[in-house]
Amino acid sequence: MAAGLCPGRALLSRRGGALWALLGTARGRAAGPETHFGFQNVSEAERREKIYQVFENVAEKYDVMNDSMSLGIHRVWKDILVHKMNPSPGTLLVDVAGGTGDIAFRFLNYVRSVRERQLQQKLRHHQNLSWQEISKSYQEEKSNPLGDSQVVVCDINKEMLKAGKQKAQHLGYSEGLSWVLGNAEELHFDDDKFDVYTIAFGIRNVTRIDLALQEAYRVLKPGGRFLCLEFSHVSNPLLSRLYDLYSFQVIPVLGEVIAGDWKSYQYLVESIRRFPPQEELKAMIEDAGFLKVDYQNLNSGIVAIHSGFKL
Amino acid sequence: MLRGAAVRAALLRAVRGAPGRAGLGRAVPRAEEEEEEEEERQRGGRVPLYPGHIPTTPLQKALLAAGSACAALWDPYRHDMVAVLGETTGCLALPKLRDRMRNDPEGYRILQERPRIRLSTLDMARLGGLPDGTLGREYIRFLEDNKVSPDTRMPAKFVDDEELAYVIQRYREVHDLMHTLLGMPTNMLGELPRSVLPTDPSDGFWPIGIPDPRPREVHGEVSSIPVPAPLSSVICEVVVKWFEAVQTGLPMCVLGAAFGPVRLNARKLQVLATELLPWAVRSGRNASCVLNVYYEQRWEQSVESLREEIGIFPPPAVCV
Repeated sequence: MAAGLCPGRALLSRRGGALWALLGTARGRAAGPETHFGFQNVSEAERREKIYQVFENVAEKYDVMNDSMSLGIHRVWKDILVHKMNPSPGTLLVDVAGGTGDIAFRFLNYVRSVRERQLQQKLRHHQNLSWQEISKSYQEEKSNPLGDSQVVVCDINKEMLKAGKQKAQHLGYSEGLSWVLGNAEELHFDDDKFDVYTIAFGIRNVTRIDLALQEAYRVLKPGGRFLCLEFSHVSNPLLSRLYDLYSFQVIPVLGEVIAGDWKSYQYLVESIRRFPPQEELKAMIEDAGFLKVDYQNLNSGIVAIHSGFKL
Repeated sequence: MLRGAAVRAALLRAVRGAPGRAGLGRAVPRAEEEEEEEEERQRGGRVPLYPGHIPTTPLQKALLAAGSACAALWDPYRHDMVAVLGETTGCLALPKLRDRMRNDPEGYRILQERPRIRLSTLDMARLGGLPDGTLGREYIRFLEDNKVSPDTRMPAKFVDDEELAYVIQRYREVHDLMHTLLGMPTNMLGELPRSVLPTDPSDGFWPIGIPDPRPREVHGEVSSIPVPAPLSSVICEVVVKWFEAVQTGLPMCVLGAAFGPVRLNARKLQVLATELLPWAVRSGRNASCVLNVYYEQRWEQSVESLREEIGIFPPPAVCV
């Protein structure tokens, strides 16, 4: 009996299953296979359109909302991601769905401080330096503070990129930073180009995650690392209930009060629930060809960092 | 005995889910239904009742009320927050208002026909061409002077009843007409030639439509030309809010009325407290329900006769 039930369950467990498609044709939509937008069922084209609009609406207040929804904890999550990356000067990073540049700025700060420490250590190790050598090393620090590290911020949404560029200007980031409009499912970069690929709180909004993972594999150099920071599933039942309560009762209200936009934040919390849990995402990353795939839960699974290598 | 019944029920359930239907028995659709129910519960347990409706749980409404009150006090230009506050706190006052409308023949007709005051439904050219002193002409003048449009009113989102959503929508759309009826235009600077403007724009106070016979000292010269002085927008809004608070009983109006005067200086507060607010409250009490007036059919009526009909006392002539 259980065996009989299981295949049925597996068939219908993916929301785009046959039964739902049958029900969906009553609505007369035929633009691509069925998928989900939060808790609604929509076509793939419609989902892309809706997600674009969501981020167009939230772009201006994106950072304020992140701070208020996560009580500032998102900053810690992003710091942990960059520390895990541990980039050395000379690293070429692509931050996909990088939007307002949070990861990119942290990356630049990190390589700058690593570079400073490198140069200081070099000075300390050389005992008898001439004045010319000392001034040359200071010049080196001034002319190349990043050590040739570069980050490319790629996002599909113009408004988010605009907000990111403004923030960069405001905070004084100019070197080693470039902004590119692009789609994670179809990147316009050459193969084997980047040392690290990151996607922070973006892969949830991609319609075809498998394509995005394949593209990530393609653009990474051999030896390159894939890092994904994303909301994930909480297994602890008590924490899960509190988290659900907070997500569904408080976050849309915050969205309405702070950004004047209930629906985008309702979408946000629903999309978190629809996203595959840790093990399933790990399997998808392995399917794309990555090796040594692992994940690290932050805050008991509210957020997880998945990591894989192209070897 | 009970255990036997339970066992039989379980067996029946198992039989209904027999593999005869290729394993797609009841268990699978039920799982889907459970998930759907969970989603419904998390969405406030209801479906949208009208376009733009967002169903909310009582907890969400409470949080919204608190949050929107703070946001509106923090930034008074967040009109959307004032609107949300009105919707989330109006659950007691709105049914009373709706009942008052139902019990009045004109109000009942409004509830049936559901007229909307919008640029698409108003004939702006015709209204602008009406004689001075008529409701239509003065309303257009108010819209032009303050550069507002009736389309900027937010639609109702958090009211969980379709008719009450219309009532609050009607209240919002009628707000500009309240300004006109009470003679409280928020800014008149646009109408006057520069040379007759007093030096201090927030100095004088004169409602529109009533000639000021006092000679005024303007730019050092005494002028006997009646010059309606520019008006302070905050005072006008506060007066209208007090009137609406008395008329509708909506908590949002009461809060707005209470907190509105907070940022005014002592002189304006005195004018408010001694002349304008008593008049607004008296008029509010005396007047019949302003939502029971079918304004769209009364554009040609003069403002004064409409005031008399509703029961609004003539605005006081105030000197500052």
